[in-house]
Amino acid sequence: MKEIRLAKKIFKTLVKDRMQYPARLFADTTSIVSRFGILVILYFYVFNLKGGSINGATFAMVAWSMFFYFSFSTLGLSRISRMIMQDITSGNIEVLLSKPIPYLLYRVWWQIGLGIYPFIVVTVLGALAIALIIGVPKTMTIPLFLPTFVLTFVGAIVVSLLVYAVVGLIAFWIEDVQPVYWIVDKAVMILGGSYLPIALFPDFMYKIAMYSPFGASVFVTHTVYESWATVWYKLIGIQMAWILVLGTVIYFMFSKAVKNVSVNGG
Amino acid sequence: MMQEFKFVLYAIKKNIQSSAELRTSFLMNVIGMTINNTAFILLWVFFVKSVGVIGGWTAADIVALQGFTALCFGIVFSFGAGLRKLPEQVTNGTFDRFMLSPKNILARVCTSSFGVSGLGDIVFGIVCLVIYGFLIHVNLLQVLLIIVLVVLSTMLFFAVAVACYSASFYFDDATFVVSGLFELFFTPSLFHGGAFQGAMRAFFMFVIPALLVGTIPVEIVKNLSMGKLSIVAIFTAFWFVLSIKIFNHAIRRYESSNLMTFGG
Repeated sequence: MKEIRLAKKIFKTLVKDRMQYPARLFADTTSIVSRFGILVILYFYVFNLKGGSINGATFAMVAWSMFFYFSFSTLGLSRISRMIMQDITSGNIEVLLSKPIPYLLYRVWWQIGLGIYPFIVVTVLGALAIALIIGVPKTMTIPLFLPTFVLTFVGAIVVSLLVYAVVGLIAFWIEDVQPVYWIVDKAVMILGGSYLPIALFPDFMYKIAMYSPFGASVFVTHTVYESWATVWYKLIGIQMAWILVLGTVIYFMFSKAVKNVSVNGG
Repeated sequence: MMQEFKFVLYAIKKNIQSSAELRTSFLMNVIGMTINNTAFILLWVFFVKSVGVIGGWTAADIVALQGFTALCFGIVFSFGAGLRKLPEQVTNGTFDRFMLSPKNILARVCTSSFGVSGLGDIVFGIVCLVIYGFLIHVNLLQVLLIIVLVVLSTMLFFAVAVACYSASFYFDDATFVVSGLFELFFTPSLFHGGAFQGAMRAFFMFVIPALLVGTIPVEIVKNLSMGKLSIVAIFTAFWFVLSIKIFNHAIRRYESSNLMTFGG
């Protein structure tokens, strides 16, 4: 109950804060428009050249798949690693650890709270624009789509937070985790199906995307393809497995790291 | 002029020496950024493998595109990393110290910080251009063109970055506006050149000069197009003059916060 109250309070405060600064929404929107907009035009051109279908995927499927990637990225969950790194390097961690709230949970709610407002605005407006301009593929109208999409979306949020929290916690042992962050972030970008939709992945890359935590953190991009109807339970199962593995890793990392922190007071 | 140039070189030298003190972090940043950039090559190479040649662009051209863009980005934001801190400095009032400096303000702002990760971009850019040279078996003229284009593209990149970051003086919450504006310029410069056709190509050449940083230079080297080279040269000169004017106009809007800040 206490945790839910904490989450509610953080969400409310941060959403109010974000609404006061329209410039931040402008930055999020231009980021999406400049990346996704150009990609859509590129793939429109590519699909026209290839007769409307590549590897069984249509242009509408690819556009929605990439849109899911970019709208998911507006949640900004990857920033949790920088937040944790900043807490550790600035020494703020000792203050936060002495509070009567679980540190990692606090950071998780904070991160979701920061991203929820731009995510909702960008997703609603973007989805409407794509539905009107490009249309909705049949695969998104079957009854299975919505419930499995919600499930894999929640799973993607948890896996993303866990992956990036592990990166952040590494700051307890090395002085600068930024390079590790770049590599992990690019792995997520490639295997998540951002610039190159998963329908165009070579076989070996598809397998890596399927079984690695980097791909699992953006499985929402798989939901629009025809194959989703047959692989959804497998992909959601893989997400569950990664949640268990990464959750255990974080538990041990954090318990070991906390022992290294010396609270000086004052 | 010569004195300003000497100051810039001195500031850069000191910045590098200071950054190199943290050796592990320094090396990790350089190596990390190089690996990070490889991701874009992988993505576009897989793209070319999956869909074939689009708009005449092959995998080798993508390597060159990433080389040009990374090199420009690396040179500007390693030696002139202070520019990226401008929105923050204007907001919190630490820009005061540049206003009081007898040196050229723009040179002082840019060289106030050094971006270690930018060195990774430079290494990556050079490696990509060398690989491109081997892949297309460049002749002497093409080597010269690459060198000239790196200089022109870097000047253009710097000019547009200055114009974008000058927005820091016009908005209250400038950090995000500036990053949005810069994103609009930078993101298209990383994309597959075949994506830009017709009106979109004209827009990203003449309105937002993103394609002049990488895409057009690659096409110039490939096709030995002197017409396109003159377009890049003219637009570089135009943007350079324009950005200095924009910056000088923008700093007039700065209001001192009367903070006592020194150094940097």
